[in-house]
Amino acid sequence: MAILEVENIHKSFGKSEVLKGISFSLEKGNVLSVIGSSGSGKTTLLRCINFLETADVGRITVDGDTIFDSDAPSTLSARERRDKQLKIGLVFQQFNLFPQYNVLDNVTLAPRLRAKERADYKQNKKQIIGEIEVKAKELLDKMGLSDKLDHYPCQLSGGQQQRVSIARAMALEPKILFFDEPTSALDPELTGEILKVIRELAKEHMTMVIVTHEMTFAKEVSDHIVFMDRGVIAEEGRAQDLFENPQSERLKAFLNNLKN
Amino acid sequence: MTQFFQQFPVVFQSLNVGFLQTLKLFGATLLGALPLGLLISFGSMSKFKPLSIVTRLIVWVVRGTPLMIQLLIIFFFPGLVWGKPIWGGGESGRFLAATVAFILNYACYFSEIYRGGIQSIPVGQHEAAQVLGLSKSQTFFRVVLLQVVKRIVPPMSNEIITLVKDTSLARIIALQEIIWAGQSFMKGSHGIAGQIWPLFFTGVYYLLFSGLLTILFNRLEKKLDYFKV
Amino acid sequence: MNKKLIALVLAAVMVVACFALAACGGKTTDPTDTPSADSDLAYIKDKGTLVIGITDFAPMDFQKEGSEEWVGFDADLAKKFAESLGVKAEFQLIEWDYKTTELDGKTIDCVWNGMTLTEEVKAAMDCSKAYLNNQQIVIVPADKAADYQTAEACKDLQFAVENGSAGEEVATELGFKITEVENQASALQEVAAGTCDAAIIDSLMAGAMVGEGTSYANLTYTVGLNNEEYGVGFRKGSDVVEVFNAFLDAAIADGTVDAIAETYDVQAALIK
Repeated sequence: MAILEVENIHKSFGKSEVLKGISFSLEKGNVLSVIGSSGSGKTTLLRCINFLETADVGRITVDGDTIFDSDAPSTLSARERRDKQLKIGLVFQQFNLFPQYNVLDNVTLAPRLRAKERADYKQNKKQIIGEIEVKAKELLDKMGLSDKLDHYPCQLSGGQQQRVSIARAMALEPKILFFDEPTSALDPELTGEILKVIRELAKEHMTMVIVTHEMTFAKEVSDHIVFMDRGVIAEEGRAQDLFENPQSERLKAFLNNLKN
Repeated sequence: MTQFFQQFPVVFQSLNVGFLQTLKLFGATLLGALPLGLLISFGSMSKFKPLSIVTRLIVWVVRGTPLMIQLLIIFFFPGLVWGKPIWGGGESGRFLAATVAFILNYACYFSEIYRGGIQSIPVGQHEAAQVLGLSKSQTFFRVVLLQVVKRIVPPMSNEIITLVKDTSLARIIALQEIIWAGQSFMKGSHGIAGQIWPLFFTGVYYLLFSGLLTILFNRLEKKLDYFKV
Repeated sequence: MNKKLIALVLAAVMVVACFALAACGGKTTDPTDTPSADSDLAYIKDKGTLVIGITDFAPMDFQKEGSEEWVGFDADLAKKFAESLGVKAEFQLIEWDYKTTELDGKTIDCVWNGMTLTEEVKAAMDCSKAYLNNQQIVIVPADKAADYQTAEACKDLQFAVENGSAGEEVATELGFKITEVENQASALQEVAAGTCDAAIIDSLMAGAMVGEGTSYANLTYTVGLNNEEYGVGFRKGSDVVEVFNAFLDAAIADGTVDAIAETYDVQAALIK
């Protein structure tokens, strides 16, 4: 069964309809890339799934659990909604690290605040915090940042900041990790280190959805590609097929434009 | 010169008493206006329109009229219009009225600084906090607040140093702060009359105190230097 | 939309402003309306204090060097008056410009501070009968005093006068050139500093502040320009005025007033 199911998402800003009925699904352990020119609606789609925007119509199911359904208005409390939302994580284009916290604290802040809601927090405080820190350090080690734990974001390069933000998102153990153009804000020579990290996550069968402009990378790392154009999915399929044998005129034109 | 040395202890004593009153007014104003300003800034940023309109209206009126008039209105209005002076007798009543006027006035100024600070925090900070599952209050206190503090330290230090000097306006309702004390020796007080140097000398107090505040604010700025916003 | 909003806001402000002004205006023009009109005496006795509005003004109300207690001809008599009412005398320094407002706003109960009974004062408050004579007199540097012994001789001088004072009134009547300053002390300051040629101040104040052995040893007083009287001001319609006048008669009769006057060296000016 698919771990992510997105059904018939519609979203308008004022009079302009940005998403006109988007549906797709994703298998556990797979990597899906969303491509398309700017203004095609791919970022809005990602923001709708992550609750940064509220879709007008549609349903989103993660791991069999409906996290959004426009037909059944939510009766959930703010906290329950947050819990559901945390099944997915998001890495931003602009990193959005918290500048006043060092690297380790950026990663542990959310888990620590969440741990406070646990019934046994007061008794096992030391142990719980200890576990959170151990895990955060493991993640940061994986990102190659073990020597930067006490650095502040302003002391790091863009690539390092983005790696911290990936660790920060992973610290909450999301079932799916979303990336919103993770390399767009980086200097070209720094994109490689981020792509390397994502590649490694893919090898470990982390389920990921990546909105990206890096076509070569998308082709290499993705199992599935969704091509969006003017608010609809114009074409989708296996990465290999889509890039080497595009069917729709729009995709052909898009790929051609990139080559030139 | 010998006359000066005879007068100095009397004047010094009197100016100290006045300056104590100045400091009390300064401290009480900060104590009230710093938190009240935050409330007002939330009101003016509220998505509930009537609240934000009323709040901004109040801020406009308070910032748009002289503090001196506000002092006079707040002090005299209850007695003149309701026939009931509410501030209580003696120096303490005048101090209370002055404190209320100063808190209201400065809270409005502070609220605009807070608002600017809060609104200047990139939306990405709120979004990052949201996708990490932080509640609204956690987002404000754990993520936004310190960044706001860092941003508003320079304008706040400006405003607070202005407050030190503005306290002298309270003399209009005969609060005997340091300027009042200094002036009293021109007209004659404690057996000393016709002396203007005590009034000039009050400047030394203001200078020293605002110098002290400048040092404190510089330290705070340095303390927050470890991160950039 | 925006224009509508602005209009709405402006309208709201006008309403508030009109209300406030109407409320203020209504009361000040119709002082009999205040509850105190019933009995100011009862009000004062009820709260147990007589709040006396003063300024620091030797020899009427002042503090001696190193003392916080208010003394002086007015202050000592005021204490006796409060005692006769069975209440505590509380001296409150005020801004002189706001004396009527302070009275009407009940932040003080009387103005008792060597107050000249001018037409303006008598219109704004209910005043006691006069208890002390005063003169507006000319102050000049002592070394030039011989040249200015008559009002006529003074007419080309530049005078410093207190804004709104009896001195200013007299100077204007006589057609003198004047510079308005904040208070009588500032007027003396102007002469001492040479920024004005002369000043016009109360003779009672001049006696305490000008000449040998005072703060302004280099100044002296020459010609008196008028005669005027001091009285105590109460709220419009106050029933305390009658009580005070009776107290004053009694205090004069039993020698209390004489004794206090001698202490402060003003017995020559007493009205009996």
